[in-house]
Amino acid sequence: MLLQLQNIFKWVNSGGQRIFLLKDINLKVKEGEFISIMGPSGSGKSTFLNVIGMLDGFDEGSYDFLDESVHQLKEKHRAKLYKEYIGFVFQQYHLLDDLTVQENLEMPLLYKKLKGAERKAMVADMLDRFNIVGKKDLFPAQLSGGQQQLVGIARALISSPKLLLADEPTGNLNSKQGEEIMELFKQLNEEGVTIIQVTHSEKNAAYGKRIINLLDGRMI
Amino acid sequence: MFKNHIKIAWRSLKKQPFFTFLNVFGLAIGIAGCLLITLYIHDELSFDTMFADADRIHRVNVDVKFGGEDRRFAVVNAPLAEALENDFSEVELTTRFRTGGSVLLKTTGTEINVKEQQSTFVDSTFLKMFGIRLLAGDINSALKEPNTMLLTKTAAEKHYGIQEAVGKTFELNNTQTFTVTGVVEDMPKNSFLRDHTVFMAMSGFEDSRIVNWGSNNYQTFFKVIPSANVDAMQEPLKGFLGKYVIPGIQQYMPGITEEQFIASGNHLIYTSMPLTDIHLKSDRAAEISPNNNIQSIYILSFIAVFLLVLACVNFMNLSTAHSLKRAKEVGVRKTLGSNKIDLIRQFLVESGLVSFGALLLAIFLAILALPFFNDLADKDISMPYSNPLFWIILLAAGLVLGLFSGSYPAFFMSKFIPVKVLKGSNSNSLGGSKVRNGLVIFQFAISVFLIIGTLVVYQQLKYIQNKDLGFSKDQVLIVNDVYTLGDKSGPFKEEVKKLSYVENATISSFLPTPSARGDSTFAPEDGLTDQERAISMQVWRVDHDYVGTMDFELIAGRGFDRRFLNDSTSIIVNESAIATMGLSPEEVIGKRYTPDFGEEDPEMLTVIGVVKDFHFSPFRNDIEALCMRLGDLYAESMAVKLHTSEFQVAIADVENIWSQMAPGQPFDYYFMEDSFNDTYRSEQRLGSIFFIFTTLSILIACLGLFGLAAFNAEKRTKEIGVRKVLGATVGQITFRLSADFLKLVGIAILISLPIGWYAMNKWLEDFSYRIEVKWWVLVLAAIVAVVISLLTVSYQSIKAAIVNPVKSLRTE
Repeated sequence: MLLQLQNIFKWVNSGGQRIFLLKDINLKVKEGEFISIMGPSGSGKSTFLNVIGMLDGFDEGSYDFLDESVHQLKEKHRAKLYKEYIGFVFQQYHLLDDLTVQENLEMPLLYKKLKGAERKAMVADMLDRFNIVGKKDLFPAQLSGGQQQLVGIARALISSPKLLLADEPTGNLNSKQGEEIMELFKQLNEEGVTIIQVTHSEKNAAYGKRIINLLDGRMI
Repeated sequence: MFKNHIKIAWRSLKKQPFFTFLNVFGLAIGIAGCLLITLYIHDELSFDTMFADADRIHRVNVDVKFGGEDRRFAVVNAPLAEALENDFSEVELTTRFRTGGSVLLKTTGTEINVKEQQSTFVDSTFLKMFGIRLLAGDINSALKEPNTMLLTKTAAEKHYGIQEAVGKTFELNNTQTFTVTGVVEDMPKNSFLRDHTVFMAMSGFEDSRIVNWGSNNYQTFFKVIPSANVDAMQEPLKGFLGKYVIPGIQQYMPGITEEQFIASGNHLIYTSMPLTDIHLKSDRAAEISPNNNIQSIYILSFIAVFLLVLACVNFMNLSTAHSLKRAKEVGVRKTLGSNKIDLIRQFLVESGLVSFGALLLAIFLAILALPFFNDLADKDISMPYSNPLFWIILLAAGLVLGLFSGSYPAFFMSKFIPVKVLKGSNSNSLGGSKVRNGLVIFQFAISVFLIIGTLVVYQQLKYIQNKDLGFSKDQVLIVNDVYTLGDKSGPFKEEVKKLSYVENATISSFLPTPSARGDSTFAPEDGLTDQERAISMQVWRVDHDYVGTMDFELIAGRGFDRRFLNDSTSIIVNESAIATMGLSPEEVIGKRYTPDFGEEDPEMLTVIGVVKDFHFSPFRNDIEALCMRLGDLYAESMAVKLHTSEFQVAIADVENIWSQMAPGQPFDYYFMEDSFNDTYRSEQRLGSIFFIFTTLSILIACLGLFGLAAFNAEKRTKEIGVRKVLGATVGQITFRLSADFLKLVGIAILISLPIGWYAMNKWLEDFSYRIEVKWWVLVLAAIVAVVISLLTVSYQSIKAAIVNPVKSLRTE
C-alpha cells in the first residue's frame, strides 16, 4: 500500500457558514496505479491532489503514506516525506525562468544535497531519456509549451519519486502535445511509476487505470 | 549550493535591471554619503590626538566675571604655569603659548619680507610637551635662549634648506633679530597649531616673567603623570583665586578679600580641559585656532545614520515589493524540496550581492565626490587606502548592511505558502504591505524633516547676510601690516585718500569684524572705586576718519574732530555701553569715565558721542559694550572705503602707493565682506552640508517611491484594465494610483512637522540674533514633499493608466 486516506474532511468557514471542500474522502492507492481524478470546476480536484501531495492540510480524517501517519507529522517531516517520494507536475509547468533546462532539472538534486558529479550524471541521464539533450542550455521561455511540460515532468521524475502528482498537465497544451504527454505518462506507469492526475478531459482520463469522479468535494 | 545561490542571484538581478539599478544606486548613495561624513567626523575627532601623550595634556581655562562682564578665556596669566608646577606633584611639565599673530620674516641683510600667518612665543618645554621631533638642530638647546626660534619645514624652505637654516638669523617685523635653532616638521593639519610656522623662545618675551595675576594672555598647557587624577585637581585649581589672584588685586583695591570679591557678584574660576577636547568642545575667547562645535558633529552623525537607514529601508521596500513577483519561484522551490533556511540563505546571498555592488559603487562615488566635499567642508581628507582597518570596516559594514536590509525580505519571502502562490492568488494577500507603507512613511518623514532643516538654516544665513550691521561692510578694502610703514603710515593714508574713487580711509587695529579682543574696566568719575558701578568695555584705538569710513550712525553727540585738540581724551561709546551705564544717549554726553579702575591719579575720558550698536561679534553673541578713542600709532590695518566696482584697479593703485612707501614689504589685503563671510563659514558649511545631504536623502526616498510605484502599477495591471474597460479615464486612474502614495506622504508630513519645528527652534537658540520658524516654512516643506512624490509616482501611474486594456488583461 502506497497511501491510504480515510474519512478526510476539509472545510473553510465563510460568513459563519462551513463550506466543505472535501467531504468524507476514502482512497487507497497501491504502487503502480495510474489514477485520473475528474470533476467539474470547483469540485475539489486540485484540493484533493494538494492534500495527497501534502502541500495542503485537512481538518479531519487520517492519511497514511508508506505506513507513516501524515496527519500526525510535523511540517518539517512532512516536507521531508514529499521531497523524497513525490514529484509534482503543474498545469503552468512552473519552471524557474532564470534557470536553463539543465539547471531546472538539477534543482531537486541540489536540495537533496547530492554531489556535483552525481547530479551531472543524473541530469544527463534524464535529458537523454526525454530526448531533450539539445535543449539543455535553453531557458524555459525559449521552449514551446509541450517542451516545457516535458522538462517539468523530467524534473519531477529526476529524484525517482514513488508517486507523480499531475494537476491538469495538458491544460495549457494543444491536443497533439497533450496526447504526447499522456503517452509519456502511460509509458512511465508501465515502468512502475505511480501516477495520480487531475484532468478535465474524458480522453485523457481514459489513460488512467482507475477514474475517480468528484462533485462538490465528494467522491461519486 | 553556495555557488548555485550566487549564480541564481546574479541571473535574477540581471533579469530585472531596473530594480537592481534602483537598489544598488540607492544603497550606494547612502553608503557614499555616510562614508564621506564618517571620514569627516573621524578627522574632526582625531584633532590633536597625534601628539605623544595627548591624553595626559590639559589646558587651563578661566571664567572671569568682573564689573558686570562675563568672559570665558582660553588664556590665563603668565605666572600660573609656575604655580601649577609648584602646587601639583602630578604636573610633570607646563608650556605656555603667547600668540605673536602674523609676522614678517626676512633674512638679515636682505630687503624682501615673507609673511608667516601665525607665530607664537613658546616655553622651551614645547618640544618635549608635545613630542615634536626636530628635523635639524639640537633638541636640548632649541628655544632656550632669548631671541631664538624654530621654523617649520615649509617656513624654513622659503629661505634655506632644512639643515642650512639652523644658525641663520632673521629679522622679524623689521625690528627684532632672531636666530633659528631648529626646524620642525609642519604642524599637522588636524592640530590646534595647524597654521603656526614660527615658534619663538618665551625667554625673550619680557612680559612672561612679570608676576601679574591680572591679565590673561597665555595659553597654558600642562602634562600630568600617567597615574594622575585630573578631576581631583579642579578644586585646588579653583583655590588659585584666593591664593594668588586676590593678593594681586589688592594692589589696586587695598584690603579686598576673596569674600568681598565674590559678594559683589564677581567670580574668577580656573578649570582645566583635556587637549583632545579643545577642538570640539571649547568655544572661548583667545583660542589658538578656530574650533569646531561638537553640535555640528552630532548633527552630521544623525544625517549619516539617516542616510544609511533610508538607503536600507529603500532596499527592504523594493526587495519585498519585488519579491511578490518571485512568489511563484518560492512556491516551486518549496515543492521541489527546498526548506525555509535554504530560501533565506538564497535571498540573503542576493541582498549580499547587491550590497557588495553598492559598496563598490559607493567607494567609487565617494572618491569622485571627495574633492568637492573637501572644498565644502574646508578639509584635506583623503581615502585611507593603505589602512587595512578601513577596508575591514567597509567590508564588514557592507556585509552587515546586506544582512540587515536583506533579512526582512528574505524572511518575508521564505514564508510564502506554495499552494497559495502557485495558484497565482492575488499578491495583495501575501501581506507585507503594512510594513512597506510604514517604511515609506518613515523615509518621507525624515526627508520632510531635512527639508525643514535646510529651509531654516538657509533663512537664518540669509538673515545674517542681509541684517543691518550698523556699519558698511561692502566695498571696504583692508590693507594689512600698516605698522611696517612706521611713521609713513599717515602719509600713506593721505595718498590713498587722494585716489578719486576712495571715499575715506582709516587706520586702526580694530575692525568691526569678529576677532579676539580684551576688555578694560571703567569707573565713572563719581564712583572711582565703586565696584557696583564699574563697567567693562572694549577699547578700540581709532583715528579721526574711523566713524566716517565705517559709516557708523551717531545717535547723540559728535565724532572725533581735528579741530578739538582735547579729543585725545574723548571717547565715543555704543548703545550697549550706555545701556550698562543706565543712561540715555543725551545724558551720557559730557560724562567722564576712567579706564584706570582703582588706580591713583586716574586719567579721565569724556564721552563726546554715542553710536548706534553695530555687529562686531558673530550673531550668535550679544553686542558688547564698547568705546572708541583716538590713538594707536602702530596700528595693524587700514580700511579703505571704495566707491567703485573696479576692485582690481583699486587694488593695483593702492599697492602701487604701498610699494613706493614700503619697498620690500609684502602687500597684504582683503575685503571686509570676505572676512565677514568667514565668520559665518561654519553656518554656511552646515547649510551646504544640510542641503546636499537633504537632496541625497530625498533622492533615495524618491528612488524607493519610484520603484514602489512601478511595482504597484504592475501589480494592479488587471484592475486598471478592468477599470478602463468599464469606462475610467486616464486621469481618474492616475489619480487613483497616486492617491495611495500621497496618503503615506501626508502621514509622514504630519509626523515630521512638529519634530522639525521643535528641532530647528532648538538650533536657532544658539543665535542671539535669529529668525523665527515661520508657519509657511512648514507648509513649504510639506508642499515640496508632496510635489516631489507626486512627480515620482505619477510617471509610473500615467504609464500604467495609458496601457491598452486588451494588453493588460491578456497578461493576467
